[in-house]
This record gives sequence, structure tokens and C-alpha cells, in this order.
Amino acid sequence: MLNQRNSIHIEEAEIITHQPFAGKQFYLQVKSPQIATLATPGSFVQLRCAASLPLRRPLSIMKTHPDGGTVDFIYKVVGKGTQLLSQQNTGSTLSLLGPIGQPFTLDPKFSLPLLIGGGVGIPPMVFLSDQLRKQSKHYNPLVIMGSEVPFPFTPAPSQYIVPGLPDGVIAAMPLLEDWGITSRLTTLQGYPGCFEGYVTDLAKTWLDNLTSEQQQKVAIFACGPHPMLAAVNNLAKAYQLPIQISLEEFMACGVGGCAGCTVPIQTPQGLAMKRVCVDGPVFNGHDVVFS
Amino acid sequence: MNSKKIKPLELNFCGIKFDSPLVLLSGCVGFGEEYTRIKGFSNTDAGAICLKGTTLEPRLGNPAHRLCETPMGLINAIGLQNPGAAYVIEQILPALDFSETRFIANVSGSTLEEYVQVTRLFDDSPIDAIEINISCPNVKEGGVVFGNDPEMSARVVAACRAVTNKPLITKLSPNQTNIADNAQRCIEAGSDAFAVINTLMGMAIDVEKRQPIIGNNQGGLSGPAIKPVALLKVHQVYQVCKAHNIPIIGQGGISTAEDALEFLIAGASAVGVGTALFYEPLILPEINNGIKNYMQRHGIDHVAQLTGTLSLND
Repeated sequence: MLNQRNSIHIEEAEIITHQPFAGKQFYLQVKSPQIATLATPGSFVQLRCAASLPLRRPLSIMKTHPDGGTVDFIYKVVGKGTQLLSQQNTGSTLSLLGPIGQPFTLDPKFSLPLLIGGGVGIPPMVFLSDQLRKQSKHYNPLVIMGSEVPFPFTPAPSQYIVPGLPDGVIAAMPLLEDWGITSRLTTLQGYPGCFEGYVTDLAKTWLDNLTSEQQQKVAIFACGPHPMLAAVNNLAKAYQLPIQISLEEFMACGVGGCAGCTVPIQTPQGLAMKRVCVDGPVFNGHDVVFS
Repeated sequence: MNSKKIKPLELNFCGIKFDSPLVLLSGCVGFGEEYTRIKGFSNTDAGAICLKGTTLEPRLGNPAHRLCETPMGLINAIGLQNPGAAYVIEQILPALDFSETRFIANVSGSTLEEYVQVTRLFDDSPIDAIEINISCPNVKEGGVVFGNDPEMSARVVAACRAVTNKPLITKLSPNQTNIADNAQRCIEAGSDAFAVINTLMGMAIDVEKRQPIIGNNQGGLSGPAIKPVALLKVHQVYQVCKAHNIPIIGQGGISTAEDALEFLIAGASAVGVGTALFYEPLILPEINNGIKNYMQRHGIDHVAQLTGTLSLND
């Protein structure tokens, strides 16, 4: 265990940009050079939302800019912590602990990564996309994002064709388009260009259109609300695909000390309670026990 | 006379040398290595580290949620999740660096016999001392059920005493009528020291769902919110301890040097830091320096000289 020493940093991070979106969502950019350099897709930070709430809250990373030393987040106000965070102004500082956790792992054997992000689970999929575009020789990913509140970006028609998807399902995330990564959006709210249904419905449509040889190259990466993750996990089981999912739970220390953030995980030795902070947040979906 | 100069923060705790009066509390710092993940954190800044509560068999602990932040506090109901004593002794202890600090085992159980068995296992290990946790509020059997009954507390202590010569620290519950009486009984049963206090039982409710937020329905409250309660308990326990020269690890909401000093003055020989690490993981050097500065200002050479220096109002 001694080799894990000194891997997590504390930084007092200045807020560079803090911008609201519809649906109580916020874009946040902070100056945090160490975390910007060390974070990898799937890892997260613990962030103090306000002095009056001293316990930091876990927040997944959407993108890092190692050169500029900044880190981007998108979060949604869901409780007291994020409510207080949303009131923080540009120029003020936030205490960050990070990067924390086991990241997503890529394997060139699975050259067709299927990334699925629901709601606040979208940001880590953007971070993973950023890594995939840097290895575009090996990977040809599809990113599916679902949201029941307006997406925290302005969707635009995709320039990339995805065979087998219903006509009119053309809305994509412009940032990913710029990166050369294909994305599609789903909602039940009737947003233009989006697939009317769940992320898993669109994923299934895409999978069914692949040859069995192609299907064997698919690996799923998912983050989002619990019911969505359970559904995506069932999809992975049905198609016998590898799946990595990122989980969340109430958290205190963020370094594995308090065992407050555990989730049930099946191991060769039987059921275990694993810490989301340092054993996760990314787990093999097939091992996760959904209640 | 020992010619070797004792450093200001150094103390002799039941025959063990602590380099600092700061003790990292059981349940907050895993099995001793977890916080060293943070750059700048060093186990050498602590006089001792109490490992996570350990039972004979592995325990999965309680269902989610296990935590809820409350005003200046934290409710937890982890439920003694641990890999079992054999695993801790065979797999974890050998990986710890005993040159950095002292390590204290925290022994828990559902039955008297389990406390004895776990104590016996740790007795045959390199661990420096053993803390008997008869105050965990988050398990259905043992824990606080034993700790709130002075008769049962004393029986647990006596039974553990019979199987170890290592220093035995009894962790007392604040959730009882007369903590000083309980301490008296535990001293008679062979306790070498006390940890005062464990968490206070508490609850938090989600009003939309009309359900407790904690999966276990209730949990133990820690953090600055409980400090005044803890301080009074230390003062009360010290009244029975001082005649027997029994040291106390004062704990409950300590997050600054001034907090630590209050506990030392109230009667503690060492002070525990737990929840404050969740807020400020790098707080230990600051508390150590703050105590040292205070000692300099007051012309105190050794931290032990501060213990129980409280002068009550008439």
C-alpha cells in the first residue's frame, strides 16, 4: 500500500468561470494545476462547497487543461452542498482534494467503446471522450447522453452518420463533434433532434445493427442515475459485453479512511462492501450488486 | 534520571512513547495507511493511530447511506465493517511502518467471548496497544449495549485483561448515565487507560421521504458539535482517573490546537483527532505547533504537565 502515498493533492482552487444552465445545472472552471495534470477520466475531486459546510462533496471531472492548469465540471444542484456551491462567485476559492479514485481503463481489443452518460453522469463521459480522441487510431466510439432537463450545452446536428439509428436522431454535443467523436442525445422531453426514449433503447438499436463480429469489439462505459446504470448493466449482460460503471455515494474522507461511501460488490471471495472513493468510483459493472 | 532530553510534545502513555499527544481515531483513518495517500500528510505527525474497529470474523457493515453531515457535525453508521482480526494481523499489520508512529488496535465484538478472542489475537501481534470498543453505537449486539452497563463494561475489560499484557484502553460511551462510575469499574477490572468519548447517538430525517437519511436509521454523531459534551465527560472521568494515574485520550470534535488544549487541561493526557481530518487532512502539524506555542508562552516544558491543570470556579 505504500506506493499509494502522496497521490492525492489538496489545492485551494480559484473559480475562473461559473455559469448557470437551465435545469439548475452549472458549468464550473477552477484553477487547480496539480489536479489538472494528474486526473484521468473517471477520477474525481472532493470539493468544499462553502465554509459553512466543511465536508467536501464529490464531483466528477468533465475535462482538464493541463497546460492552463484548469479543471472543468458540470454539476446539478441536488442538495445543500451543490446549492451553496452554486452561489460561489468567480474569483473566490474552493478547497479541492484530488484526483481520487480508480479511473476507466481502455483496452484496444475493444475498439468500439460505447459511452453512456445520464444527467450528471455526462461529464465523466466527456473526459473519457477527450482521452479517446487522443487515441483515435485505436478507437471508434459512440457517446450516448440522456437528460430530462435541457442539456448543459446547445445541441447541434451531427456531421457523422451512425448506421441503424432512427431518422431524425441527429442532435449531438458540439464539443465532441469538434473532437471528431460521434454522439447522440436521448430524452423523454421531446427536445429537437434527440431520440425519444431511454439511453438503453438507443444503445440497443445501435448494438442490434452491428455484426456479431463488431459486437465483440464493444465495451460499455457508463455513469448516471442508479436506475439507468442498472438498465445499462442489464444490457451489457444481455449482449455479453464488458462494462465499467462509475458509482456515487455519500462520502466523508475521500481517501478510504472512513468506509462511509461503500457499495456492495461481488468478488471471488463473496460479497464485499467496496469504497466508492478509492476502490471505485469505476467498477466492473458485472460485479456491482444492484438492490 | 534519564539524561536524554524529552521533547516538548513527547509523552509516555502507559509505557509507550508517543511523539505527539495527537491520536488519530478509530474509524476515521482506516487501517493506518489511507491518509498517507494525501501529499503532505505524514503518520509521523501523530503520536498514535487507532486502527478501524476489528471483530473476529469479517463484517460487511451497514447498508447505505452510512453518512450524513449535520451542522458542525457528522452522523455515521458504518457498522464495524472490517476484514476480521486474522486478516488485519496477517495482511495489514506487516505492511504498516511502525517506525513512524504507534499503532493501536480497536477490538470490537458481539459477545464477551469475541472481545477476548480478538484481544488474544492482537496480543500475539506487533500492535502497540489495544483499545476495547465497548461504545460503538451502530451494531445491534455488543458495542454500546455493553458500554452503557457498568457491570458488563467491567466484565469485558476484566476478560480482555486476562489475555493480554499490552496496554488496554477502554473507549467509553457518552450515551450513559454516569460515565465516571463506569470508568471506576473499568479501572478496577484492569483498564490501563480510557478513550473519552465515542460518538453520541443521533438521527437525521429526509422530510420529503419521511425516512431517516442513515440506512441504519440512527448513527453516531461526531465533529465540533459534540466537543462541549466530550470535554465535560473527560473532566468527569479525570476525577476518578487522577488518583490511579490512569491516562485519558480526550476526543470529540477536536479540530484546533485550542480544542486540544481544552481537553488536556480538562484531564486528558493525549487527544484524539477524527472528523476534523475529513475537513482538513493536513491539520496535524498545525495542532502540534499550536500546542507547542502555547506551552512556550506558558513556560511549560512537557505536554504532560498540562494534564488536569483546570482550576474550577468557586
